[in-house]
Amino acid sequence: QDPTAAHYMFQDDPFLMPRNAANSRLFSLSKESGRNAAKYIIKQFPQYFDKTFAEPNIPCLMPETLTPQIEGLSEEALKERIHLRRVKDSVDLFDQLIQAGTPVSLETTNSLLDLLCFYGDGESTPGKEDLEEPGVNASEQKVPKREFQRGSQPSGSRWRENNNAERIFKIMPERNADSYCTMIRGMVKHGASAEAYDMYIGLLNERHKADVHTFNALITAVPYLKERFLERWELAKVFLNHMAQQEVQPNLLTFNALLKTLRRCGGVGRSMALLVIKEMEALDIEPSLATYDHLLFILYRGADLCPSGIISEVLDDVGKRSFTPQDPDDANFFATAMQVCCDLKDIKLAYRLNKVMEKGDNWKFLDMDRLNAYWSKFFSLLCMMEQIDVVLKWYKEMSSSLFYPTPKNILDLLQALDAANHLELIPSVWEDMKQLGFNRRQDLLEELLSLMSRERHPDEVQLAFAKCAEEIKAVHEQTRREQSLLEWTGSALGHVALLFSRAGRTQEAWYVNMMEHFQQINRIPTDQVMDEFLNCAKQTNCPDDAIKLVKLAASLGLPSSQRLKNRTEKEFELSEKQK
Amino acid sequence: TSNVLSTKKDESTASKDSTTEASSKSQESTAETPKQKLLDIIGNMKVEVSYRKKLQQLKTREIKKQATNKLEGPDGKGSMLQKTTEDTQRGKPLSPELVEAASAVASFLPLNKKQTESELIAQLRRHEETTDKQKKGGSINIRNVISEMAVKRQSPAQRGVRISNRISLELDEDGQRIKPERLSPQSFDSKRSLKVGRRLNIFTKASTETENALRTVSSPTIWDLEFAKEIAAITAQPPRNGFEEMIQWTKEGILWEFPIDNEAGMEDDAEFHEHIFLEKHLEDFPKQGPIRHFMELVICGLSKNPYLSVKQKIEHIEWFQKYFEEKKELLREI
Repeated sequence: QDPTAAHYMFQDDPFLMPRNAANSRLFSLSKESGRNAAKYIIKQFPQYFDKTFAEPNIPCLMPETLTPQIEGLSEEALKERIHLRRVKDSVDLFDQLIQAGTPVSLETTNSLLDLLCFYGDGESTPGKEDLEEPGVNASEQKVPKREFQRGSQPSGSRWRENNNAERIFKIMPERNADSYCTMIRGMVKHGASAEAYDMYIGLLNERHKADVHTFNALITAVPYLKERFLERWELAKVFLNHMAQQEVQPNLLTFNALLKTLRRCGGVGRSMALLVIKEMEALDIEPSLATYDHLLFILYRGADLCPSGIISEVLDDVGKRSFTPQDPDDANFFATAMQVCCDLKDIKLAYRLNKVMEKGDNWKFLDMDRLNAYWSKFFSLLCMMEQIDVVLKWYKEMSSSLFYPTPKNILDLLQALDAANHLELIPSVWEDMKQLGFNRRQDLLEELLSLMSRERHPDEVQLAFAKCAEEIKAVHEQTRREQSLLEWTGSALGHVALLFSRAGRTQEAWYVNMMEHFQQINRIPTDQVMDEFLNCAKQTNCPDDAIKLVKLAASLGLPSSQRLKNRTEKEFELSEKQK
Repeated sequence: TSNVLSTKKDESTASKDSTTEASSKSQESTAETPKQKLLDIIGNMKVEVSYRKKLQQLKTREIKKQATNKLEGPDGKGSMLQKTTEDTQRGKPLSPELVEAASAVASFLPLNKKQTESELIAQLRRHEETTDKQKKGGSINIRNVISEMAVKRQSPAQRGVRISNRISLELDEDGQRIKPERLSPQSFDSKRSLKVGRRLNIFTKASTETENALRTVSSPTIWDLEFAKEIAAITAQPPRNGFEEMIQWTKEGILWEFPIDNEAGMEDDAEFHEHIFLEKHLEDFPKQGPIRHFMELVICGLSKNPYLSVKQKIEHIEWFQKYFEEKKELLREI
């Protein structure tokens, strides 16, 4: 297998291979959206697709019939519509049935409530469900979570007051435990935690027993019910005790929900996390990756980090078996673990983590975005901790195949090169930067230029540097249609001038350093630049230039102008006029 | 601690160094905790070197003032308290040193001078107010203060505040800071591991019979179905090579299953011999004569017919039988 090749799904046309993270995401999404567009066409216009040529028939390529078959007011028709997940139709039919006086059975009403609570009173649009490739889906769902504000709940659609579900619930002649449970779950899912809690109290008053899923939902809602850490933990314990009293056995998801709540309980979480793990062990419930993820997050967040004992044990446990997905949060484990390795600055742990990831099916837990983040962090850690040749080897193999370097990665790489004194590789890094689309990033350009111009280098290297500088200058000056003009900063301009002058390209150096240019952008050249120019002028034996320089210094009011003047007078033979 | 908190925040911004000490000169400032020093360092890293000197001057002035204030004793403190309380009333001007410090900072920042100055002075006012509030207030809700501060728009000079926010976010519940040195023996024991430790002791393991009894038989609800879908989606990654792609297609039914099964998709329940050996259906017909002959030809043709199902063939034969029955009388006459 070629380690530097791009992912299989991109291997179609070499021109269309993605070069940076944004592109790769775009391409994979576009591939999936093409598929969805085709599906949409088939669904919308089934009349054009009714010839079945293939023998035997391939059902998945044929349009589905999703229209309800049973017409008329009957419970059967209602059941069918519920089954087809048509929310609005079901509600309408239900209302009609009630008005006509036909009793609807408890079971059917409950399944209607299920439907309503799950979709939160919005419509279930089948097109939207599989909008993303399942692997990319998780990362899409991450986006709304990033806008999380403290105290408010992230959710898809919000639970409206007195929506259909609540209305139907109220008019139900009899309710059983399932009705309450599904209402609670729906409310928690859509952000109405306080109402969910009230509903739970109602359930208790009716002497019903909740099921394990309801309790799991309630436990996840705890952070939104209480603010103080200790109160949150107490409330969670209350729920757990109720579970024990009602003889509801907790399952893996219960403990994962508990740990998720503990994530938001600060110090209390830290003390309690291990106790929860031991409880799981005592009940013979195998932890899933999500469990470990929550555990690592709780114990390794914050300024004071736990020593690496726990994560070692976690890696041991995880490395022993291959995991199947059991909890939607399982996918976060590897990213969190790698983050912990970076925080602990432990490269050996990171290598172990890589081995664990390659075991069995564990690699599947990392989708495109998470994979990128994971390897990106790993590369940063490498740059910090490893020798430069190891770093370069990884870099050659990994970029564009396993991950796309982020700007931070490039910065780290530059620093590693600097630390190892391999600055002559900078031009090749610049090439990569151009490919990745980072050639307009101010911070990277600054770093690049300052590293290049810090010391004098042997001549070929200097020439290569000057070429880079020229390209960077071009970047600054061209204005493409949509891009705004990249502003020169004082230091950048100075560095570029230095590089040009060192490489003997004095003409360009002067062009760059034209008096107007500097004054145009209101920046001040450093003393080093001025000195360098004087040397340059001396080399080319051009006293006019030297005088121009002194004049420039004087006009800018530099403190070094006097010194420059003296130097000029000393080192050049000036005619009277020039003096 | 609240006062320390607010002072720390200010100190991490260079300009506020002097000003906060001015505002808190009447309050009892606790001794410099290590954390304060840390935040000092961080805050100072953000400060340009050029105007550090000026601030040092301001600082020394304030410290001297603070020293003299302490010498004044509690009575003097009381009066100072009064004065600053008055100062923090809205609309009253701040002490001139604060204003001077603010203008010093504004002049050194390359940004819009007037705007920076007004921003700083506004911020100073806010700080006076909050310190005042916290002085008066009983139980302090640190969280509100912090969250409020974090939300405000910060100019670049105040990024240090944000850093101290991030560090001080690790609060224990009642506002006590978690100090890096203080490690409670229970929580941060280095011998902590997954293997040893107590448990919650809330649940007891149910025996298997009760487990089976509790397992109710019910059709999977929409919750279960969707959950199963979500779980499956976690590990559903795009295929890594052509083989995986073909596997996925076979699972979806797009690709035939290999080795090819000729009868895939056909639902014929009958075996081949029922198609071919159709003589047993001829029992009702006469054994001799042209009818028999005819029927045997029919059977021969049917047995070679791959398009009809067994049922259809039997129906065919029965039709003939009925037909001939009806015609029997006719034939008898002949």
